[in-house]
Amino acid sequence: MFILLCVFVFLVSMGVGAYSKIAMKPAWSQKYSIEWSDNLGTLYNDIAYGDGEAHKFDLYLPRDNTRKNYGLVVYLHAGGFTQGDKSDDREMLSWLCNKGYVTAGINYTLRNETNDKSVLSQSNEIKEAIPKVIETAEKYGYHVNEMGIAGGSAGHALAMIYAYRDAKESPVPVKLLFGAVGPSSFYAADWDIYGFDKDTDEAREGTARLLGIMGGVELTSNMIKDGSYIEKLKPICAVMWVDENTVPSVVAYGKHDKVQPYKGSQRLLQAYQKYNVDYQYFECSHSGHGLQNDDEVYRKWLETVEEYLDKYLTVR
Amino acid sequence: MTGKRWVILGAVIVFGIIMGRLVVRAILNLLMGGTLFGGNFL
Repeated sequence: MFILLCVFVFLVSMGVGAYSKIAMKPAWSQKYSIEWSDNLGTLYNDIAYGDGEAHKFDLYLPRDNTRKNYGLVVYLHAGGFTQGDKSDDREMLSWLCNKGYVTAGINYTLRNETNDKSVLSQSNEIKEAIPKVIETAEKYGYHVNEMGIAGGSAGHALAMIYAYRDAKESPVPVKLLFGAVGPSSFYAADWDIYGFDKDTDEAREGTARLLGIMGGVELTSNMIKDGSYIEKLKPICAVMWVDENTVPSVVAYGKHDKVQPYKGSQRLLQAYQKYNVDYQYFECSHSGHGLQNDDEVYRKWLETVEEYLDKYLTVR
Repeated sequence: MTGKRWVILGAVIVFGIIMGRLVVRAILNLLMGGTLFGGNFL
């Protein structure tokens, strides 16, 4: 009878332990995750920026509407380019709004089995949305004079493309990028997690198929073999746009990432160093894509994000 | 129940909670990558 009681207690305790691991967040993390309330400002949901069903953004306007100028922070949602929604980042956007920024979460058309959407088309949608976000803020009396862009995973990739590829065409200067675990490199050699670095026809076929879909271009095994594919992928390959004019960047990556390649983050790091970019690179050496095993590094990344926001996108 | 059994039950609870957290960590590592030991262990 006592043994049965022990088994029961063990199973219940395991459940409690599992739940606590999932639900309990470190106390410091609450600072960066605020529940939206009308005390923080005004939130406008689902403002259209185009004709597509997904072409919508949420605009968070800070309570203080007396300032002459406002910094805009756009945060793009995660989801592997196939899932996710702007509302997933409501708490992060609320935190940024509470700091005094006009903030926006933008949806983009997700890739699915019935459409031909790609990282390229999604990056172009973001480029199309940002002038509309700024115009709308202006309409409500918030003059945006500079911006930062950020995101998680796929959102981080799209944010990097905007900050590094499109910043020159932005309606206001882009001052800062921050994000975590976004793929910046589409060099096949970096995608060892999917076996794309292998010197076989099968690997090259797989590489051409997946990277072609992501880039919205037709790739062949021969292009992979002779290296000509990478120029075709340049529009989505943020690392190829890094140069001496690249904006300050604060990024975090997991060393054991199985979703986006760690080797790509090393290529990004080398590019920052080569062009003397003002960057901060945080490596979660025990974690994968979720940065789930390095709370201390994650905390430092967020603290640095805040420092860079204060330095480059100062709330005046 | 004897004092000894209460002690055993307490140890079972602690062990169960640790195992529960480790199982979640292992599943997350399986899905996303990561080391089982090191870092934020529990």
